[in-house]
Amino acid sequence: MRRVKMRLVWATAFALAIGVTAAQAQQPKRGGTLTYTFHPEPVAISTIATTAVPVALAATKVYESLLEYEGPGLEPKPGLAESWTVSPDRLTYTFRLRDGVKWHDGKPFTSEDVKFSIESIVRPFHSRGRTYFGEVTAIETPDPRTVVFKLKTPVPYFLKAFQAGESPIMPRHGFTEDEISGNRIRQAKIMQQPIGTGPFKLKEWQRGSHIIFERNPDYWKAGRPYLDQLVLRVLPDGAARAIAVEKGEVDLAPMSALPPAEMQRLSKLPNLVSSEQGSEALGPLMWLEINMREKPLSDVRVRQAISMAIDREKLVDVIWYGNGKPSRGPIVSGNPVHFDKTLKPFEYNVQKANRLLDEAGYPRAAGNVRFKLTQNFLPYGEEWVRQAEYIRQELGKIGIQVETQSVDMGGWLRRIYTDWNYDFTSNFTHNYVDPTIGAQRAFTSDNIRKGASFSNSMDYRNPRVDELFNKAAALDDGPERNQAWKELQAILREEMPVIFLIEIGYTNIWNKRVHGLLTNGISMYSGWDGVWVE
Amino acid sequence: MNTARFIARRLLQVLPVVLAIAAMNFLLLQLAPGDAADILAGQMGHASPELVEQMRRDFGLDRPIYQQFFIYLGKLLSLNLGTSNIQQRPVTDLIMERLPATVLLMTTATVVAVALGVLLGVAAARRSGRWLDSVISVLALVVYATPAFWLGLMLIVLFSVYFDLLPSGGMMTIGSGKTGLTLALDIARHLVLPATTLGLFYVAIYARLMRASMLEVYNLDFITTARAKGLTEGRIAWTHAFRNALLPVVTLAGVQFGHLLGGSILVETVFAWPGLGRLVFDALLQRDLNLLLGILFVSSVVVILANLIVDLTYGFLDPRIVHK
Amino acid sequence: MSGFAAFWRRYRRNRAAVAAAFVLILILAVAVAGPLLYPVDPFDMVGRPFQPPLQRFLLGTDVAGRDILAGLLHGARVSLFIGVLASVVATAIGVGIGALAGYYGGWIDNLLMRITEFFLTIPSFVLAVVLVAIFSPTVFSITFSIAIVSWPSVARLTRGEFIAHRDREYVLGARALGMPDREIILLQILPNALPPIIVVSSLMVATAILTESGLSFLGLSDPNVVSWGYMIGVARTVLRTAWWMAAIPGVMILITVLAINLVGEGLNDALNPRLRRR
Repeated sequence: MRRVKMRLVWATAFALAIGVTAAQAQQPKRGGTLTYTFHPEPVAISTIATTAVPVALAATKVYESLLEYEGPGLEPKPGLAESWTVSPDRLTYTFRLRDGVKWHDGKPFTSEDVKFSIESIVRPFHSRGRTYFGEVTAIETPDPRTVVFKLKTPVPYFLKAFQAGESPIMPRHGFTEDEISGNRIRQAKIMQQPIGTGPFKLKEWQRGSHIIFERNPDYWKAGRPYLDQLVLRVLPDGAARAIAVEKGEVDLAPMSALPPAEMQRLSKLPNLVSSEQGSEALGPLMWLEINMREKPLSDVRVRQAISMAIDREKLVDVIWYGNGKPSRGPIVSGNPVHFDKTLKPFEYNVQKANRLLDEAGYPRAAGNVRFKLTQNFLPYGEEWVRQAEYIRQELGKIGIQVETQSVDMGGWLRRIYTDWNYDFTSNFTHNYVDPTIGAQRAFTSDNIRKGASFSNSMDYRNPRVDELFNKAAALDDGPERNQAWKELQAILREEMPVIFLIEIGYTNIWNKRVHGLLTNGISMYSGWDGVWVE
Repeated sequence: MNTARFIARRLLQVLPVVLAIAAMNFLLLQLAPGDAADILAGQMGHASPELVEQMRRDFGLDRPIYQQFFIYLGKLLSLNLGTSNIQQRPVTDLIMERLPATVLLMTTATVVAVALGVLLGVAAARRSGRWLDSVISVLALVVYATPAFWLGLMLIVLFSVYFDLLPSGGMMTIGSGKTGLTLALDIARHLVLPATTLGLFYVAIYARLMRASMLEVYNLDFITTARAKGLTEGRIAWTHAFRNALLPVVTLAGVQFGHLLGGSILVETVFAWPGLGRLVFDALLQRDLNLLLGILFVSSVVVILANLIVDLTYGFLDPRIVHK
Repeated sequence: MSGFAAFWRRYRRNRAAVAAAFVLILILAVAVAGPLLYPVDPFDMVGRPFQPPLQRFLLGTDVAGRDILAGLLHGARVSLFIGVLASVVATAIGVGIGALAGYYGGWIDNLLMRITEFFLTIPSFVLAVVLVAIFSPTVFSITFSIAIVSWPSVARLTRGEFIAHRDREYVLGARALGMPDREIILLQILPNALPPIIVVSSLMVATAILTESGLSFLGLSDPNVVSWGYMIGVARTVLRTAWWMAAIPGVMILITVLAINLVGEGLNDALNPRLRRR
């Protein structure tokens, strides 16, 4: 009896000790600095100037929006708005704003700031402003703590729009009259010297070296942020960034900040964590955009043959060092709601590809060549060059002689979107949290517009596709909407206006001493008020 | 007085050249496909043609060419080199931020190259025809044929990866927060490999030139006179021959400035040295043509100034030239 | 025939130059015959990436699993082609301008020299970089850009030669005979001015190869061909794990450029015996 009792005592003591240690290990520690790195250096600290990754990584620490989000599917929860209601017809959204929130300069945050931000800053100047708020007919501010949005047609992803990077709330008093009336919003001073409501404020920006953010002592979440400081180190050389992370001089390299070969190597080290979580809600997707206006690319069999000649697995492994996975269509597999999970991977079959080209009427002629094509690629860096080389080789094997052109960004945009003077090019887009935001614009015939970048440059016209996209754009999430997406994915896979290649992974690598990073599918673009370091 | 007129005259000669460079820059800018509005639109990932046209109007890109040229010239006069399309900041600011690091690198490389080159050249001349002379000549030839960027990479492999003696890149140890003397030492340590890489090519040139120059000077009359007067060989070498032989080397050093700038692009890229050369590489990656052309303009002006200084120094050392 | 024999006798005296000539011929042979005897596409993925030399592949594989030896052989073709072509074009332009400036003097000389000095002021590599960036890298845009930054030195040299020769007796005599200027320039003066021009031209091939490799290293190479500089550029970011990828092509550049330089000096000794180096 006594022995059992002793064992019980030991067991309890043991359990208590574990529990206490575990609890201590989980207990966020206040204080400390988180150092992270990215390249290139941000050009501004506001996603209004540009939504490029370096800027988003910095701006989302000082600015916030009405809502915060949870989980990979970005479920909304209170942010600057403590509650909200949606009218049954989904045309009126009423937000009740939090009380006592202050800007970094001490002035109070009111509904006027929200109205100003959405109407005059986000909608006209944010690259997705119109996608989110294009249907808004009026923004009313009946009192300093209430904002009412009135829409003319329902927008299924409206509540997802209020992310810190997508619709940052900026202070009305942060802009001068000159800047507003002179239409110089992008060049406004506040873009370089931000004033936000976020958990951190800008302390110091030494160009070419670093940006230091310090804790906002008046942040509306009591006790947060845990960190004293955030430091963004500017290290132009990829190898230097990798060494810094390896040695622990830098704690976090988000969004594939390191060269792919290094990421592969570092992911195996014991003191580091490597994960694609934390940015999966961006839904990065890479494809070959095809100019369908002329033969032979106007023939769907030719496009299918091209698709079958590319080994996507190998592309991910060799060119992208394992960062990512083969794509299965216009919607990324990480999308928990809209992706059709029954879709199979695209076929890799060189023999069948050859047969398709023969059937389409393009036999091998002199030098084993069926026909010639020119290839363009995004001038985004080394891996894109390697990929272009790889695709050139693979297509060579099925008798397509490819000549690659290396153009600068301006030239590339002109060629693809203004002149429509190309055969095929690699291209890269984000799905974002809802396919209507990220996927629609490339495939509807009303978006065949000369001069509009990242529009439908392929001249793809399918009335059923247009119909389905428009239908899905208005429906709320549910079985009917999903049915539309299912059919869309099937059609686009079959018709291949673009050759879907890869969902490139955004790999985040951080030191094990960092905790609380992963909060939702877009964690890297969150305020990091819950992040703490040992 | 004469010096002042000399300077003024040379400056006046230089002005049309600067104007021509500006014109060439402008011409190149026009030749580039795609303009600033296109690039900004592309960065946003989604821009309607109306927005692009509006941006074009904002940037003044819809005005007739000759008007744009005069606006461009006017901006240059006020030292405004335009705005970098990619980085959205004034080109002048970007260049001024990076210039000190490059100047440090180039100066160190030049000083080291001249010092080492002169030393080796004199040694080779003194022992002309013998073992040391041959060794130095061969080494010079090999170094002269080596691509600078490859040399830098190999030095990194040797001294940084294999022996872990010197840092593989950057200008200072990140996150160390050093100041004062420790900072200077840290920078010096980071400077060793890049300056050596950049300068080694010129060591070869200066060594050969110094050697040839010394040998030529030795045969001149005033050396024979000095010997006749009874001066020791050593004194002759170091006071008479040396000073005169140095002149061509110093001249060449000044003239090589433009070449050095080109070399710094490669060396700074290899060593991630945060200077103008590295800025060129970054600008290339994104094809930031505004920035590239701004750098071209500034480096041309710098070369012109360097040549001017060389002329002045030459005139100072050899008074016959100024008073011509 | 005796002219050539005399030339060869003088050239032979410089043993280093003779050895270098052999090396150069060897490299040319490799460039021409190499890809034929070893027909591997340098862009083809032949095996696992990052394989070191002397295993399955003689020189190993690069970051994308491509045969480094194939890259070396094809790179020889590209580098030599661009080097020689750029030098030829630069020489043609430079001689043309220099001859006119030197022969006619006066305002033509002034104008042409101003243009020449203009190009000499701009840092040549920076200009080459900008030109290739603007015109998009292809074998021809690269060749053209290198030629544009190289011709001024030839022009200056040619001008000097023509100035030295234009008042010589044989020229005055030709003019007295009523020979047109064009003939005097091309048939009388130019052959005499050729020796130093040939030397400078040959040395320019070496500089062109170095410039091309520098451009390729920075990412400004024709995406459809493999050049030595390109290979070093690809290897830049993986130096720690695979230094041989950068070392091997660099050694090739070094040997080639060294050989050309030595041959150039040999030519100088042989063609300009008056200007003997001590």
